Amino acid sequence: MTDASQTLAPAAATQSDTIKRKSALQRLLRDKPAVIAAIFLILVVLAAIFAPYLTPYDPYNTNMRVRLRPPGGDFLLGTDAQGRDMVTRLLFGIRTTLVIGLCGVLFGGLIGATLGILAAFYKKLDNIIMRVVDVLLSFPSILFGLAIAAVLGAGTFSLIVALSIAAVPTVARISRGAATVVMQNEYMEAGRAVGLSDWTLIWRYLTLNCLSAIFVYLTLQFGQTILLGAALSFLGLGAQPPTAELGTMAAEGRNFLFFAPHVSTIPSVAIFLIVLAFNVLGDALRDVLDPRLRQ
Amino acid sequence: MSRHIAHRLLISIPVLFGVLLVGFMLLQVVPTDPATVMAGPTATEADVAALREALGLNEPLWYQFGLYIFRVLQLDLGHSIISNASVVDELISTIGPTVELMIASLIWAVPLGITLGTLAAVRRGRTADRIIMAFSVAGVSMPIFWFGLMLIQYVGFKMELLPFQGRGGPLWTLEGLRFIALPAITLGGVFVGPVARMTRTSLLEVLNADFVRTARAKGAPEKRVVVKHALRNALIPIVTLVGLQIGFLLGGAVVTETMFAWPGVGRLAVGAIVSSDFPLAQGAILMLAVAFLAVNLIVDVLYAYLDPRVGHK
Repeated sequence: MTDASQTLAPAAATQSDTIKRKSALQRLLRDKPAVIAAIFLILVVLAAIFAPYLTPYDPYNTNMRVRLRPPGGDFLLGTDAQGRDMVTRLLFGIRTTLVIGLCGVLFGGLIGATLGILAAFYKKLDNIIMRVVDVLLSFPSILFGLAIAAVLGAGTFSLIVALSIAAVPTVARISRGAATVVMQNEYMEAGRAVGLSDWTLIWRYLTLNCLSAIFVYLTLQFGQTILLGAALSFLGLGAQPPTAELGTMAAEGRNFLFFAPHVSTIPSVAIFLIVLAFNVLGDALRDVLDPRLRQ
Repeated sequence: MSRHIAHRLLISIPVLFGVLLVGFMLLQVVPTDPATVMAGPTATEADVAALREALGLNEPLWYQFGLYIFRVLQLDLGHSIISNASVVDELISTIGPTVELMIASLIWAVPLGITLGTLAAVRRGRTADRIIMAFSVAGVSMPIFWFGLMLIQYVGFKMELLPFQGRGGPLWTLEGLRFIALPAITLGGVFVGPVARMTRTSLLEVLNADFVRTARAKGAPEKRVVVKHALRNALIPIVTLVGLQIGFLLGGAVVTETMFAWPGVGRLAVGAIVSSDFPLAQGAILMLAVAFLAVNLIVDVLYAYLDPRVGHK
């Protein structure tokens, strides 16, 4: 009897787990704005990946004879101040912006997750790490951007460093939360009792089990990272011209705002739509995965 | 209460120390010799050598850091490489306009956000709620520079309704108000959405509370229940959350000031970094960080004052 219940219990748990997960996906699919956002983002990512094959123009070849053409005619979205096709610039701009954002989220996520998991595992480190994280968290991210651009000089590298640092504190907090929950599982204690090394416990037992929670959070963070990166580039502290990057392109268009508004409007709209899609999708994901937050 | 304030002040000290360390590093990591940088391009070699001695650049690094803190405490932040003006003077002349811009943005954005959030909470799940929340998500996703560019293009240039470059004078003059209008709409605009969202969440929580049900049960009119019973109680978390966000408004202020040529600290910082004016950049970043810490401290203390339970934790 006891044997049967013991073997049955885990099976039942897995079953209800799959049911829960299925319904989570179903709930997500029923959320129309979230589905539209997801499809839009998939298209955007595909466009960014295949940018070189989607357009006959080069994003950096200038042609002064066709500068500042309005949208329509030979050029679907017009041309910029150097006569470069805006569709091409836009596709390559999305590419750069997404890659910069991705680097920021990944590096920041890696450092943040490491700090959070270590804080949850080693109680002695917890206080120190979380104090530092609190301090980092309390500063507006744009200040990191300013300070790092001041030290390393303005450029794509400094931008990625700034975005990573900006992402670290929030990711560390989320990871610590997720890891603390995993730490309470009996298998952590069992693993320790069997004599596994700290490294094995941390990696195979702890990290792999809170990875999905951290990953979902990183998706939520992506939109904010892109927005911050675009703002810093717009200020001239990020990607430098002639790089096709959405924030830099919007800044370049500022000088022609009154007679060729499309040059800065098109990249700005692109940033808005991408960030909006990430935020809509992120909100929906959070609602589905964390019912406590659903009101 | 006083213990709470003392505690917060004590916590601020290591943070301030860290901020100073960053400021110090800003002058260390630069590719050129700080003495050459600070002495300016017109300085002779003897000047630089004298400055090296005066700055203690021949001493060990920790000693230099001590000297740096000592100088900062005496409000000596060096001179701009480009204009040779005193960094402290530059900061004093730019902090006023920045504070002005923040106040002009908050004064309309916060009441509007709270009103919209209340409406959304009361009409929860209905069309009004959906529209307000959609507007809020759109606001959070909007690059602040796009909003500003649109205002400049349509309201400033095409309709010629308002000026969009620089500051017109003090806020109590008509010119001052005309010039601050567009920057304040830009900066406040990105703040309405988050405030509405926070208000909605806090209010929804309170609307479920027992005392609200009691108020309804005894037959109080719905309007009175929402405004007098619920909103008043929800206001404490709202004030705190809004207060903590004010610091983040500084980030938006940096972009807004740069776009509208508003003579504030943010524009000063960006200009200094772009032109590699290290002493000025260091001073401006220090100023922004300290201003941010000060705002957070004030909000913290205010929170303890509004909600006495906090002080006793």
